[in-house]
Amino acid sequence: MNSSLEGAVAIIQFPGVNCEYESAAAARSVGFEAAIFRWNEDPRLLDDCAGVILPGGFSYQDRIRAGVVAAKDRIMDAVTELARRGKPVLGICNGAQVLVESGLIPGIHWEKVDLALAPNVMADREGYYCTWVHLRKEKSACFWTRSYLDGAIIPIPIAHAEGRFVTEDALVLDEMKKNNQIALRYCDAWGVVVESFPVNPNGSADNIAGVSNREGNVLAMMPHPERATWLRQVPEDLGGRWGERRRSAAGEAARMEDEGPARAFFAALLDGKGGAR
Amino acid sequence: MKTQVQLWVRLKVIDLVTQTARSTLIEKLNFADALRGITHYWYWGMEAEGADAKSVLAEIDRVIRLDSAFTNQNKHLYRLTAGSGQVLGDLPLEKDFGVPAVPSPGPAADAAKGPSRGTAGTGLFAFDCLVRERRRDREAGFAERLNARLKGTKVSDMKHGEVWRLIVGAPSEKAALGDVEKMLVSRSRREGLLLNPHYQEYEIIATTRVEAEKPAASEPSKG
Repeated sequence: MNSSLEGAVAIIQFPGVNCEYESAAAARSVGFEAAIFRWNEDPRLLDDCAGVILPGGFSYQDRIRAGVVAAKDRIMDAVTELARRGKPVLGICNGAQVLVESGLIPGIHWEKVDLALAPNVMADREGYYCTWVHLRKEKSACFWTRSYLDGAIIPIPIAHAEGRFVTEDALVLDEMKKNNQIALRYCDAWGVVVESFPVNPNGSADNIAGVSNREGNVLAMMPHPERATWLRQVPEDLGGRWGERRRSAAGEAARMEDEGPARAFFAALLDGKGGAR
Repeated sequence: MKTQVQLWVRLKVIDLVTQTARSTLIEKLNFADALRGITHYWYWGMEAEGADAKSVLAEIDRVIRLDSAFTNQNKHLYRLTAGSGQVLGDLPLEKDFGVPAVPSPGPAADAAKGPSRGTAGTGLFAFDCLVRERRRDREAGFAERLNARLKGTKVSDMKHGEVWRLIVGAPSEKAALGDVEKMLVSRSRREGLLLNPHYQEYEIIATTRVEAEKPAASEPSKG
């Protein structure tokens, strides 16, 4: 039971999530305090938190549709209120599905469900897909990506069966583009956005990997930054400078604890406090 | 001869997806007064061409028993029906963990008249709601999968999705249908649950007026 979350980022633990401890560790890797917060605790305890992370996993076993049952939970009233007050909120994978099903993302119309994270559409396969991909950081007002330069290429893992951002309302997509809400796109290792599989690993509209709200403090992203926070998490066979760095550190335990390509998502929390970066 | 065939599949044991849908609709979306029953089936509907309806059903039955993409004998119950406008069969639960059974549906609708309709008035109405993905390629894949093994029978126009049988108490069928649409379509955080309209759609494949409610047997589970 949490008594106070003042200054800490709250990692919401719905039944069935499984990335809460990794996400907390990733936040702590930049020196930020993080606390696991159960979905049925008193939501008023969240008032003083510095931000919220909805971690990956399978909330409510993905029953009915990934993220939808958690989206209806009472705690999401509190998360919605915190988001409205400008607190940073990050949804990772299943957390992104919760944010989309709750209408917080894209947030163009208050609490309206304007997007879906639909089942992957992939060449010659269906269902769950787990691999490393590349993201391109797009120009946006997003809080969580602000430690990266525009155009930065971020290698990162995905692991999902329902990650295809899609909307039936073309005006919503137009509005998202106009507002620079598309914070992250799938790209190849050189930063080129290629619409087809495997660069676009799930058939997502416009290669969308992450969407923020208009204000930029809420981000829903399907890839897992907490799984690319340390150099030791980078695959040895990854191309590019991150792969080279990982291979050169082989056998050196201390260097394995160095920063990974996605730690900067969490470092944004420090930036928000006028921190070190 | 062409025959409309439906395959209905459900779990042998209590379906926790259905229980979660029930509790979410009742406790989080305030349908305690309206929702009287809910059942969940996987559904395949198709047009089958073969010698006659009986042989078509027998041949499809032979093939689906070979293919776990449709049923898994270790955990599923299934039923094949023929003719358009069918309502769900009342497949019995192998195990009952104390959750009340859904009232039995009325007789199958007349094929010539299409889905049957309840009459107006206070009562219980059962809506069989087929929820499908808007993309159709997976459905075509199921047809190909069946046709690769069928002998003397060919299927086409495959529809695949989940059927939610929602039993709703309301003053009229129109009012009940309004509640059903609110239960189905997720339009906001506070409205709708069973489908996301940005990649799914629904159709009511049958509507049945259910016999008078028996209070002890049809109260929704609160657990």
